[in-house]
Amino acid sequence: MATWTAEVFQNEYLPDGATDVHAIITVTCADSGQAGDDGSGAAEAIIIDCSGSMDGPQTKMIAARQAAAAAIGELSDGTWFGVVAGNGGPVIAYPPPALEVGGMVQADTRTRAQANYAVSQLRARGGTALGMWLMAANDLFARTPASQKHAILLTDGKNEGETEQQLAVAISRVTGQFQCDCRGVGADWDVNELRGIATAMLGSVDLIADPAEMAADFRTMMQTAMSRGVANAKLRVWAPLGAEVLFVRQVEPTIDELSARRVEVTNLISEFPTGAWGDESRDYHVAVRVAAKPLGSEQLAARVQLEVGGQVVGQGLVKALWSDDSALTTRINPAVAHYTGQAELADVIQEGLAAKAAGDEVTATFKLGRAAQLAAETGNDEATNRLKKVVDIEDAETGTVRLKRAVSKLDEMALDTSSTKTTRVRPS
Amino acid sequence: MTDGSATAGESPVTNRLSCPSCGEHAGTTDAFCESCGSLLKPQSLPPQRESAGIQTNPSDRPCLACAGKVGSDGWCTVCGMKVSNGREHVIEQPASMVAGVSDKGIVHPRNEDAAALAADPDICWAALVVCDGVTTAADSDVASLAAVNAARALLAAAPRPPNTSAEARIAHWSEQLIAAAAAANRAATETAHAIGDVENPPSATFVAAVADRDVLVAAWIGDSRAYWLPEAGPAEQLSVDDSWATAQINIGVSRDVAEASPQAHAITRWIGPDGPSGDASTSATTARSPGWLMVCSDGLWNYCSEASELAKLVYSLADSSAAHEPLPLAESLVTWANEQGGHDNITVALAFVDPTAEIAPTAEIDPTASEVEMKESF
Repeated sequence: MATWTAEVFQNEYLPDGATDVHAIITVTCADSGQAGDDGSGAAEAIIIDCSGSMDGPQTKMIAARQAAAAAIGELSDGTWFGVVAGNGGPVIAYPPPALEVGGMVQADTRTRAQANYAVSQLRARGGTALGMWLMAANDLFARTPASQKHAILLTDGKNEGETEQQLAVAISRVTGQFQCDCRGVGADWDVNELRGIATAMLGSVDLIADPAEMAADFRTMMQTAMSRGVANAKLRVWAPLGAEVLFVRQVEPTIDELSARRVEVTNLISEFPTGAWGDESRDYHVAVRVAAKPLGSEQLAARVQLEVGGQVVGQGLVKALWSDDSALTTRINPAVAHYTGQAELADVIQEGLAAKAAGDEVTATFKLGRAAQLAAETGNDEATNRLKKVVDIEDAETGTVRLKRAVSKLDEMALDTSSTKTTRVRPS
Repeated sequence: MTDGSATAGESPVTNRLSCPSCGEHAGTTDAFCESCGSLLKPQSLPPQRESAGIQTNPSDRPCLACAGKVGSDGWCTVCGMKVSNGREHVIEQPASMVAGVSDKGIVHPRNEDAAALAADPDICWAALVVCDGVTTAADSDVASLAAVNAARALLAAAPRPPNTSAEARIAHWSEQLIAAAAAANRAATETAHAIGDVENPPSATFVAAVADRDVLVAAWIGDSRAYWLPEAGPAEQLSVDDSWATAQINIGVSRDVAEASPQAHAITRWIGPDGPSGDASTSATTARSPGWLMVCSDGLWNYCSEASELAKLVYSLADSSAAHEPLPLAESLVTWANEQGGHDNITVALAFVDPTAEIAPTAEIDPTASEVEMKESF
């Protein structure tokens, strides 16, 4: 049985008249077990781009077949699974219709071998229609009894086989039905597009620059999925009557605005889906605006709870205490400061790259300069290293940078996709 | 606070939760362990315990600020105000020679201690009563308040024989204190009946002390204590805890070891409907020099148990400019206990007793003073 802990990091002291309470809640899940442990089983879909461009160069298609096989190799016995071959119109590559009427099969030695053979026969031709691929996977999932559903989606191109509107409709139809980790290979896919899918589907997004890395990445993704023993947990936030939840944001391991996924439980309680959990920690930044109270008053500003199967399994209390002691009220909690910086870092990287793409060099230089400054301040060395491939950092402290003249598209995309990755607070 | 669970042979305890840290019993609505102060639920709740945490105690009272339901974490589920019975920090000072301070402490969500005091400085008479409501039982704060008030009323109305020997006064006040404890027990029991049948009916400890000039008499049920802390001469603990720790000490375990044990605070006697029968225990002493008569809950003595250590603490905290004023001293003791962690409710009641002071002329002087002298040389 999984055990949960919730730790709260905040400065609960507010000066006279202050209303906004910020806290970082670290939620940790331990002894989660294996995917499907909750009794209703796990299901996996592997969605492989088989559009014509996957053959240019041919190594991409070859790598994609190997990667799919690697993922299949990690499936635990009994896991329901299927493979979608994506092009202009999706094809269920496995299982064949004759084996299981349109649904999935459970992994065992025989079905894994059959799937590996099916994957080896994948050929590149046709276009890219991400929405249709997601719908095809959803159709497979809909016919399995499993409650824990996860997909891996690989593409090398933009969504050109359908309209933006069609993709948006598809995403909204599959949201909440399964989780989806998205991977883009090469430099011809759209980071924003794939990030949009991954975010809605509670999954990760990443760039695979070199097709040779694909198999290892797929293996890791599937191992992670198989190690998630808690099928579905929700973050539940209570705020007092009259208070306003300003935002709820996952800040570690990646920045993820949860506010858009808010589900109202009561007028005081909101719920946010967080998907499946393995043995891991995630940090959340919760900001609540409460009515100011007289000096010396204390009140609960938020209860942040984890809910699994209708049960509250962990809780952190966010408090507010009004004080006239400025030594107490002026302290900014290091965790709150750190993750506020990390969230802004993600924003300025994305805004800077967008400005650069639009030819607005002034804004791009300003935003990416601020990014360099924040990355240095918050000790996000990974972000600093990626920024250095796009800008020359003259002075990180003041955020002075110059745009590089010749920048590899892949380096820009790597900076963009990883912009939401955060680092934990450095021990002081 | 004190755990109301009985030691072996006492009334059985059923369906109680246990503290994950120390194994002590815990009430279904407790946020913190009575014994060690560990968080019982909010940080990490195994699912099976959560169902218990969500259950509402039949006697749970609504939030004082908004009448909303109070959560098991000690905060209102509607307005977010801390659960309050209006007793976070209560001061009692009916006369200048006595003062009581009852404080919630830091860890517990509610103050379930209560103090009631009475004094007649003209004849150097004071009565101090403290009850410590058992957190694991329902509505113990209501019971403790009713109990101290009932005991005080009885003591304040008791005859004060002016012309009797110390021995006679000890006998008289012992009898009155036993009656006061019985009155406290009745009041606590009535509280229980008022809330109807619950699994753990309200219960509390009881301690009271009377100072009648040089005579000091204490009575108790449970582990709240009475001390005599004279300016000169040895300090004394007048009461003997009805507790598991005392039982251990009686069989030869050292006080430090016994009081540090997880079960140390399990009391063997308490007041309330399910309390063991029998009169309060009493003891008495004679004051030879001025000093402090103190009754307190374990929220204080947990941090300073030995009478001699407590005397040192009291005289180190006493403000030299107000050396005989009980209120600043009681406040300092509460602050000190909170600085030590405030793991429990803290209640201190003090009377400054000066057997050498002249009794006011309106009062009748004891004509048998020589007998008192003889008593004092005992």
